[in-house]
Amino acid sequence: MEFQGLRLDTSALKLLIVLAFCAVCGCGRGERIAADPIEPHVTLTPRELAAGVATVATLRLQDSSRRPLSGAELQVQAFMSHPGMAPLIVTAVEKGDGVYEARLQLTMAGDWILRVTGQLPDGRMIDSSFKAQVSSLKPNVE
Amino acid sequence: MRPVDVLRWPVVGRWLRWKHARTSIQVVLLILATVVVLHGLFGPDIAPANLATVLTWVHYRGLLVVALLAAGNFFCTGCPFVLVRDLGRRVRPPTRRWPRFLRTKWIAVFLFVAVLFAYEYFDLWALPPATAYLVLAYFGAAFAIDLIFTGASFCKYLCPIGQFNFAASVVSPLELRVREPDTCRTCQSHDCIRGRRQPAAPAVVTQRGCELGLFLPTKIGNLDCTFCMDCVQACPHDNIGLMWRPPAAELAELQRRSGIGRLVRRKDLAALAVVFTFAALLNAFAMTAPAHGVQAWLTEVTGGTSEAMSLALLFVIALGVMPLTFIGTAAALTSRIARHSAGSVSQVALRYSYALIPVGVGVWAAHYGFHLLTGALTVIPVIQNAAIDMFSRPLLGNPLWQWTGMRPGAVFPIQVGLILLGAMGSLAVAYRISESDQPTRPGLSTLPWAVVTIVLATIAVWTLSQPMDMRGVGLAG
Repeated sequence: MEFQGLRLDTSALKLLIVLAFCAVCGCGRGERIAADPIEPHVTLTPRELAAGVATVATLRLQDSSRRPLSGAELQVQAFMSHPGMAPLIVTAVEKGDGVYEARLQLTMAGDWILRVTGQLPDGRMIDSSFKAQVSSLKPNVE
Repeated sequence: MRPVDVLRWPVVGRWLRWKHARTSIQVVLLILATVVVLHGLFGPDIAPANLATVLTWVHYRGLLVVALLAAGNFFCTGCPFVLVRDLGRRVRPPTRRWPRFLRTKWIAVFLFVAVLFAYEYFDLWALPPATAYLVLAYFGAAFAIDLIFTGASFCKYLCPIGQFNFAASVVSPLELRVREPDTCRTCQSHDCIRGRRQPAAPAVVTQRGCELGLFLPTKIGNLDCTFCMDCVQACPHDNIGLMWRPPAAELAELQRRSGIGRLVRRKDLAALAVVFTFAALLNAFAMTAPAHGVQAWLTEVTGGTSEAMSLALLFVIALGVMPLTFIGTAAALTSRIARHSAGSVSQVALRYSYALIPVGVGVWAAHYGFHLLTGALTVIPVIQNAAIDMFSRPLLGNPLWQWTGMRPGAVFPIQVGLILLGAMGSLAVAYRISESDQPTRPGLSTLPWAVVTIVLATIAVWTLSQPMDMRGVGLAG
C-alpha cells in the first residue's frame, strides 16, 4: 500500500490494528482491578466545605450484615475536577468499630472528587469515589 | 542581508523539507489522539487521572500556544484529522467544490463559540469520555466534509481549532513566503497553488499545491496558512522559505492578500479577531470564583433557573455587548479625531479590530500556559496509573501523584509578562494602522485603541489573579 509516496507494509498495519484492539480490551473496564462491592459510608465535617478549611472525612466500613470491618488500610485521594493539579493523598487512621478518619485540607474552591481506595485484611479491595463541592462563597456538600 | 530562512538551516530545515516530515508529525499526533480516545472512553472517570483530559486540556492546548508563539502554526501541520482524511480520499476522492456563498468564516466563528460554550456548559475538562467524543467528532467532521468537498474545506471554513490557530499565528515569528519574487514573475506553472502534475497525464497531481487557496507570490502573512509545506514541495524553483518576520506586522497591511482579499473588507475575519480576543478573557474568567457569582447573579436577575440561559447571557455580554461597546466607542472616537477622513465608524472598527489579536493571544497564552506550566508533569503519574489499570500491577512504578509542575504563584509573573507583551503588540499594530491611515495624527488616532487594549489587559491580569474555582465533575452520582 502506498500513501503520499510512502510505502506502508500491510502486515505492519494489521499489527497496529491488533495492538489497538488489545489496548482497548486491556484498559477496558472489565480488566480493571476488581473492586469489592463494599462501599464506605463517608461523612465530611464540617458539612459545608470551604477552601482552606480543615476537613475530616469519616469513613465507616460495614459488611453486608452491617458488622463493622476493622483492620483495613484506606487511603483518601482528593482530586480537583480540572486536570493538571496535584491530588491530595491522605492515609486514613482507624478509630475502631470500622470507623476510619482522614484529615484533608482542600485548598481550592470548586468541585472535588474524593476517591477512597484500600484493602481489607482478607484481601478484598475497596475503590469508591464521590464528589464534594468546596466553596469560598456559598458552601455546601453533595 | 538575507532574511533568516529556517528551511535553509542544516538539520531542522532539511527535515522540514523532507517529503514525509508532515506525515511523521501527523502519525505521532494520531497515536496520541488514539490514546486520548481509548483512555477517555475506557479509562478512569476522574479527569486528573485520565490521559484524555490531561493530554487534551493541559498539554495539547498549552503546547499549541507555545508553538504558535515560538515558531508558527505547527499543530495544523501535524493535524491527525487531515491524515485520516487523506487516507479516506484515497478511497473516495471528493468531487464537489465548497459552495461559494459559504466561503467565509461565519460558520467557523459560530462553531468556535459553540465549542467554547460546550466546554463551559458541559465542563468538558472534567469529562474524559466527552473529551474523547469531542476528538472523535473532529475526526468525523473533517473526514465527512473533506470526502465531499475538494481542497481543505474543513480547515479553511469550519474547523474551530484551525480558526484559533490562524488568528493566533499572526503573532508567530515565522511565515512561509517567496524567497525571490522575480522568480515567481517568470513562473508559468504556478505549481505552488495548482500542484505538480505528471507531464504525460496533466490531470494526475503528483504533489498537491496549497489546498487553502493561498497563491504564494501574493500571499501575505499567516492567516489561513496551515504550514503544511505543500507549496514548498510543489515549487519547481525551490523558491519558498520559512522566513523570520516581525510578529503581528501583517495586521496593519492594507494590500489584497491571496485567498483572503483585503482585511478591511472581511467582516467575518474581523468578527473572528474580536471573538478570539474577547473569548480569551471569557474562557479565563469562567474558571475563577467571581464567574460563579456573576452567573448566579445573572440567573437571579433574569428570574431563570437554567444554567444554560445564564451561561448564554454571559457569552452574549462577553462576546457581544462588551466588544460592541469597546470597539464601537473607540472607532467613533478615532473617526472623530481623524475628522472622518478614515471612513465611517464601521470601517474604522473593521480596520482596527485586528489590532486586538495580539493582546488576545497574550491572554490565551497566559491562561493555557498556566495549566501547562503548573501541570506539565501530571502526565507521568497518569501514565503510571494507566499501566496499573492495564496490567494490574505497577509496571511503571507507583503513581508519583506529587509530580505536577511549577507553583501557581511562580507562574503568575510569566502570565503578566505574556499579557503585557500581547498588549504592547496590540498598541504597536494600532499605531501602525494610524500611521498608515491618519499620518497627520497617528498618536491621537491610536489613543482610543490604546485605552481599549489597556482595559483588556487590566481585566486579564485581574482575572488571572482571582482564586480558581473549577466546577464540574465527570462522575456519576
